[in-house]
Amino acid sequence: MSGSTCDAIVIGGGISGLAAAAYLARSRKRVVLLEAADTLGGLCRNAPLGDGIQIPFAAHALYALDQRVVKDLRLTRHGLKFAARDMPLAVLRSDGKHLVLSSNARDTARSIALQSQSDAEAWPRFRGELFALARAMRSLWWDDQALRLGLGQQTALERLSRTGASAWLDTWFESDVLKAALLFDAAAQALSPNEPGSALSLVWRAAQEICGLQGAVAFPLGGPGTLVDALALAARQAGADLRTRAKVARLIVANDGISGVELDNETISAPLVFSTLPATETFALAPAAAAGFAHARDLAADRTRTGEAKVTFALSELPTPGGVALSLGSRFIFAERPETLAYAYRASALGHFPDEIAFEMILPSAIDPSLAPAGRHIVSALVRPIPLAPDGGWPQRKAELAARVAGVLDRHFPSLSQKIVAAEILTPDELSPSRRADVTRMLSHWGERTQTPIAGLMLCGASAEPVAAVSGRAARLAVAKALERKR
Amino acid sequence: MKTPAPFVRATPFHARAAEANRGNAWSARNGVTLATVYSNADDEALTARLRVAMADISWRWRLALEGDGVTALLSRLFTRDVSKLSPGQSLKALWLTDGGAVRGAGLVARYGRDKFLVASSEPDPDWFQFAASAFATTARDISAEEGGLAVIGPYAKVVLERAGIEAALEPLQFRKLFWRGLDVTLSRWGEHGGYEIWCKPDDGILVWDRIARAGAAFGILSAGLAAVDLLDLEAGIARPDRDYQAARDGFAKAPTPASLGLERLIDADHAEFNGRSAWLANRETEPKTLVGIEIDMDRAAPHTPLLLGERKVGHTLNSHYSPALRRTIALAQVERSAAEPGTSLTLTLSPNRETPDFRTVAARVVALPFLPAPDSIAP
Repeated sequence: MSGSTCDAIVIGGGISGLAAAAYLARSRKRVVLLEAADTLGGLCRNAPLGDGIQIPFAAHALYALDQRVVKDLRLTRHGLKFAARDMPLAVLRSDGKHLVLSSNARDTARSIALQSQSDAEAWPRFRGELFALARAMRSLWWDDQALRLGLGQQTALERLSRTGASAWLDTWFESDVLKAALLFDAAAQALSPNEPGSALSLVWRAAQEICGLQGAVAFPLGGPGTLVDALALAARQAGADLRTRAKVARLIVANDGISGVELDNETISAPLVFSTLPATETFALAPAAAAGFAHARDLAADRTRTGEAKVTFALSELPTPGGVALSLGSRFIFAERPETLAYAYRASALGHFPDEIAFEMILPSAIDPSLAPAGRHIVSALVRPIPLAPDGGWPQRKAELAARVAGVLDRHFPSLSQKIVAAEILTPDELSPSRRADVTRMLSHWGERTQTPIAGLMLCGASAEPVAAVSGRAARLAVAKALERKR
Repeated sequence: MKTPAPFVRATPFHARAAEANRGNAWSARNGVTLATVYSNADDEALTARLRVAMADISWRWRLALEGDGVTALLSRLFTRDVSKLSPGQSLKALWLTDGGAVRGAGLVARYGRDKFLVASSEPDPDWFQFAASAFATTARDISAEEGGLAVIGPYAKVVLERAGIEAALEPLQFRKLFWRGLDVTLSRWGEHGGYEIWCKPDDGILVWDRIARAGAAFGILSAGLAAVDLLDLEAGIARPDRDYQAARDGFAKAPTPASLGLERLIDADHAEFNGRSAWLANRETEPKTLVGIEIDMDRAAPHTPLLLGERKVGHTLNSHYSPALRRTIALAQVERSAAEPGTSLTLTLSPNRETPDFRTVAARVVALPFLPAPDSIAP
């Protein structure tokens, strides 16, 4: 077994891993990134789906990409461009009373007023309060990583950390569609909208920004894979060694500190190891209970039961919405009522397929035609909540999930299912399920989440984020923390 | 792991203990009924120190661990390296939380390559159960599967030999024996010298009778819990539940080993035990340490403040009149600056029937243990 030495190792070549490698290399560290798969990118890579079609493999639209990562790593110069910067949100209903929320306040107000006049009046006030709280929360991931709260905001956040998202929205709005749309975004972290504290996840979501726009959703030109390429370029130019097909077999831990990693036929020594794997997988690579028995017990006690699934269709024709004129560059949400999400969560937590599924759909090829050859189109749908392990097992029920999604889409995009030429289904177990969001950690110091009881081992992937999202933020903060400590 | 039965269990020696228990004074410990005092606790403790006494120790929590990963598991759990033990050897050590706090103290005995026994005065099944599952090891509570009778005192060895047991064992060793028709394990695990005989529940009465008969010529007495607790106090041993609350939160940082005088059970060279780095990080900042104090008056209630001049420097733990020392002694936690033997402290005793007023009395710090183990004055 051959051996080598470097300053830092990054496990996982997704967005977080690449960002960590780039940051480390920029600080003149000799860094080796190890990705088990054949290609970099992880959940953000583009994957081929026959006929020259490139589909976003897992993540399809970005809403949380850290602005400082973009700036520090000069991602724009390295090729990151956006095809859509602030995608409108369209909630489609079977009764045709659709709701469209866009950056145009007047259009939004008019659309909400079609549902309810009082909601249209409450909307600007709600956005004002939500965004103010969200901006306060953002200081958690800027410089001193501490909450900077204005008058009354402490009480407000504390109240929300005990409030269910649906109960909070009930105090603002009467329209089911509007509430369902907002709750869908808050369901990102396997929390029931009825669960105490889930209101905080609405604030968290509103705290995210992309392209400098708070609460926006954007689609990169060329798909999320462009972000991967830009980060990889930034990391390589800074001098990082990015290796694929390099699967870490073991973490080498001695005296409660990490000293390197073991691959199948090689040992790499380094005093710093950044893992983007979920916490459970990271510690499974270390000797049993290496981080302590209580820590291991906490990890084992994780009761995450629900996750997300991704359904992608290749179509032979551009789908057209029936009845109304809607921009195909929108983000479509299919959730009729707030209860849809609560019931889907409840069923999923018990391992049952929900009777009514909720999902978000975008048409990447309508936003960026370069993703598919002429005459071909892509539908990308993110279904949640969905059981991590449904009755009967995922291999048997994959097709059923695709059929259900196609069935709902058919209602709004007539005869869409007849245009499907290929399908790709990614189940929650393949999407590497994220740990259930812990609302109590949502307001905690970022540095703590990246640290582990094993000295030198840092978490910088989704496990270090309160809510799993493509942001690169955990990587930025973990590297800053590690280098500060070393100094 | 079997959960303890919800009702109070009797020990294999209960029938004989009931006959000997003149005051009908009983206590429950770990769910087992035990005699608090047979006739007089001071007599019983003095007898253990000067002649020979036997004590029912079936209440101890005992866990049998088996499996491929058991050595790795116990090396990681305990503050000493159990992998260095040969079969038939044992050691005493602590197990710490992730935060370096004392979660328990006990004994690890190696029965075979992949077979160990863990014994402790306070059960901690949750911790061991989870730890065992992480190391492909099975942990089974065997507390009720054997009875234990301790024979303590300078004449313990002679009494055992009179009873027909070859008692040549070093401290912390143990051996299985075939003793005139009975399968027993003889061990030297106790804190007070002496020996322990572990037998099947059905053999309890026979074992008790054989020891009682062999010890009659030496004036053997059975010692109740109060007497054994007194021996513990004289030996300077802080016990969970009685002197301190062991940590039950897995991340707790207190009580630290240093604050309980238990650092002697930690091998700093043992590199891999749970809580090691937290223990190392916290040991310098721990302000308190365990000392013994002699009080010039009655026993003090636990947690009575101890003053050095006007300043509070610590508090008492368990205290008792020691018939062997003929004075009141107490364990105490004091600041390191006040831990030097000979330091004079004062404390205020609560009113009692004889003196219905608060009294300020003097106390002195003394080195632990107050008294050596009884067997070291063996004839």
